[in-house]
Amino acid sequence: MSSSRQFSESRSIPTRTVLINDSTQLPHDYCTTPGGTLFSTTPGGTRIIYDRKFLLDRRNSPIAQTPPAHLPVIPGVTGKNILNELKRNEANNINNHDAKPAQAEDAQFEMDI
Amino acid sequence: MATSEPRGTENEEVRAESPTAPPVPSPVTSSEQYIKHPLQNRWALWYFKNDKSKSWTENLRLISKFDTVEDFWALYNHIQQPSKLGFGCDYCLFKDGIKPMWEDDRNKLGGRWLMTLSKQQRHNDLDRYWMETLLCLIGESFDEASEDVCGAVVNVRPKGDKIAIWTGNCQNRDAIMTIGQQYKERLSIPSKTLIGYQSHDDTSSKSGSTTKNMYSV
Repeated sequence: MSSSRQFSESRSIPTRTVLINDSTQLPHDYCTTPGGTLFSTTPGGTRIIYDRKFLLDRRNSPIAQTPPAHLPVIPGVTGKNILNELKRNEANNINNHDAKPAQAEDAQFEMDI
Repeated sequence: MATSEPRGTENEEVRAESPTAPPVPSPVTSSEQYIKHPLQNRWALWYFKNDKSKSWTENLRLISKFDTVEDFWALYNHIQQPSKLGFGCDYCLFKDGIKPMWEDDRNKLGGRWLMTLSKQQRHNDLDRYWMETLLCLIGESFDEASEDVCGAVVNVRPKGDKIAIWTGNCQNRDAIMTIGQQYKERLSIPSKTLIGYQSHDDTSSKSGSTTKNMYSV
């Protein structure tokens, strides 16, 4: 066992600052958390983080208005009766605001995405 | 910023208060609305129904898997809320590849932050807490500690419901404390109300009705 350990020189990760005026100027390999953080790959790997507000906002997505394809029918959990019940609950929950239910009849169709 | 800014947020607060509130159509309909946003992990949602005539594993059923924000909501918007499930039923959301049971290799050294709800909270808090828990998980809300998260479970029980976040190693104190503190904050639990973390080992070998807490926040 060698007693003379060699310590490697410690250096900060080199960075450079680039002024971006438009999203089209971004390098293709940069990552973003929409509505939030811009970050590039870090030594430990990049983590995709979404804040609460962004996630809640995406509940509006047209994609989210139809059930997933191949959703199994499980009594008490999924299926037509549940969809009707969820719709009724929504109607009850929104009577104080002018938001309108977005699902209407479409909710019963499956869509392959 | 580079990609899609959230749009149509004027009803944000309304929806935030009620997990069952409807999705509101955005005034802006553009192709951007059809973009799917990838999650860090692929997640599997499981349903457990306590049918005494079947074995535990027979009662456990995979509902669906998803790996984008929009596919999460497509599932969430079309399944029953926890407060409307029958007694003895669970939902489990786990990272793909981890089974929602202590025995899984990724769980067996771990434990859970456990929230025990009163009967009244089924009506007031259960669905909201569960949705916040799901958002914490899929959004990777615990920074680096999110790596330690295995999944979350909601148990619907006559005596009082439970929600837990499961982590992979009960010795990883720093990650566990980060998760516990941030989780408590997200659920707006009063600081004087303590929530505890218990190892699965202690839970499975307990002799009485209570399991000791390894950590608490």
